[in-house]
Amino acid sequence: MEKQLIVSIGREFGSGGHEVAELIAKKLGISLIDDRLLYDLANENNIPYEDAKKYDERPKNPFLSRTVAGFSSAVEENLAKMQFKYLKKLAEKGESFVVVGRCSEHVLKDYPCMVSAFVLGNVETKCERVMKKYQLSESEARKLMKKKDYTRKNYHNYYCEGKWGDSRNYDMCVNSSNIGVEGTVEVILKFIERKK
Amino acid sequence: MVAQVIAIELFLIMFGIIISEKIERQWASLGCGLLMLIIVFGICMHSPQAIWNIINVKEFATKAFWIAHGEGGEASAGVNWATISFIFGMMIMVEGMGRAGFFRWLCLRIAKSVKYKTLPIFITFMIMSFALAMFIDSITVILFLAAVTVELAGVLGFSPVSMILAEIFCANLGGSATMCGDPPNIIIGTSLGYSFSDFVKNTGVMAVVALVFTMLYYFLYFNRQLKKKGKTEIAASYPEPSSAISSKKDFMISCLIFACTVALLVTHSMTGLTVATIGLFVAALTLLASPRHAWELLRKVDYKTLLFFIGLFIVVGGLERTGVLEAMAGVISGICGNNAYVMVAVILWLSAIASAFVDNIPFAATMIPVIKTLAETTGMDLNVLAWTLACGTDIGGSATPIGASANVVGVSIASQNGHLIGWGRYCKVTVPITIVTIFICMICIYLRYL
Repeated sequence: MEKQLIVSIGREFGSGGHEVAELIAKKLGISLIDDRLLYDLANENNIPYEDAKKYDERPKNPFLSRTVAGFSSAVEENLAKMQFKYLKKLAEKGESFVVVGRCSEHVLKDYPCMVSAFVLGNVETKCERVMKKYQLSESEARKLMKKKDYTRKNYHNYYCEGKWGDSRNYDMCVNSSNIGVEGTVEVILKFIERKK
Repeated sequence: MVAQVIAIELFLIMFGIIISEKIERQWASLGCGLLMLIIVFGICMHSPQAIWNIINVKEFATKAFWIAHGEGGEASAGVNWATISFIFGMMIMVEGMGRAGFFRWLCLRIAKSVKYKTLPIFITFMIMSFALAMFIDSITVILFLAAVTVELAGVLGFSPVSMILAEIFCANLGGSATMCGDPPNIIIGTSLGYSFSDFVKNTGVMAVVALVFTMLYYFLYFNRQLKKKGKTEIAASYPEPSSAISSKKDFMISCLIFACTVALLVTHSMTGLTVATIGLFVAALTLLASPRHAWELLRKVDYKTLLFFIGLFIVVGGLERTGVLEAMAGVISGICGNNAYVMVAVILWLSAIASAFVDNIPFAATMIPVIKTLAETTGMDLNVLAWTLACGTDIGGSATPIGASANVVGVSIASQNGHLIGWGRYCKVTVPITIVTIFICMICIYLRYL
């Protein structure tokens, strides 16, 4: 039986981190967990997917939520915890997968088979990619990047001990602007190979 | 003046930290309480005696702490140890009951007695939520009720959201009916010297009237939802009530202790026992009845909440001693122009709206000295203001998902089980009935007392 492998990919918006995760999953022949996780979870619990998507990977609003005896009123927090539980369940079952975001490097840190990487990029390169992908002007792309990264950072930092994008929390941080998406995939795959 | 400004700043800092949840609320209140003692009482007022009075440990040595003499007296400003002792005792008792499986058994027993039919379950669970919350904290009531509701909804094939929202509302309403139902009532009761029956005769009557309208509202809403969904499924097997009981002996003991507590609370104006005495007696009884689990029960007490109360009373005591709350009462009195109708409306709606967005415990603790001053300066009946404050803080909290602890627990349990309840979904159902209920209370107060 193939040894279990979990690859956690954190990413800046526009860095191509999602593409990196897709390629790694394809090359290793293991499943990719991104929005699919939310989709599965929504299906499993009869939640309309669009409802769940509204709260996915978003920080809770401290002024509109309260915590009592460990229970939180924030839907964002409850949904995040459901996703963390789901990830742990998959890992516990011995499945191999590549997971994008969702604090996975922290949630699955107790699994020695996990390799974690954070994909970042130069502002200019990321901006170009976002402009092309979403058909936006430069200022719109920069605004969107700022907003998305702010949301991801706050979401991550609320649930994790380490800070989002801090190199000490990941096995490696790779700048995809320097070596491209393919190059980033190669570096991560080499790391995985050596770790085996 | 400096002392007043610092006292206000410390109070606002405490509230800000509690809302932001950056630091746990007990550390926020204790930290601000400590600063209040050092800066306001120590440095500004040069009064070690005031520090001693605010900490108020001497209260334990007074006869009035254990036995009420005649008509209820008023507690002095500072840490209200009677409230803390009572809550501590109830926490131990409730922990013992939960461990024995009492709450789950009760929920399943009622579901079974109505033959697991959805609409009767809906109605009986609302009544049960109201009745239990009269004696037990609403967090515990909803913790068990919501969990069983989700389980039954899964078996019977209906969405548990409306039912959980109804249970939450009824728990908050039930809490407003008695002295021990909701923390603001415990604080109001112990601070102003009211008995259990005083609450039942006043807020209790209003709560029952409001319950009738609430049940009708939720029944119509839930029935419409059920009709939309079509016929409910008939499950092959239902959860058995007996499966909830871990030990028959512990179960019987916890039932007896609960019955004893209810009896002591209902009769405490006749026996003279204070709620603090009852709380500590019940705690001792629970621990003695299950010595093997005594340590576990003691460990499970929510000490964070008790510490939060201590800090909160010190901070509010600081506001009171520096005259801030007197000034606040002056502002309210100025707005109302000594008109009793306007004053009741202002206190009721102010408490309700504030409690919908902020923790109602600090709000009630702050408002007690305010209504006392209002009664002294305007000649308004303090009892009327107390019942108004109790109704506003207890019921107003139902309007939003963060207004009361029961709401947070219910929403969280539903969400964790895949039934996401955001602000929109929650408020769409609860805001109209909260407004109606507050109106009912206002009319009751106007007709009965003014």
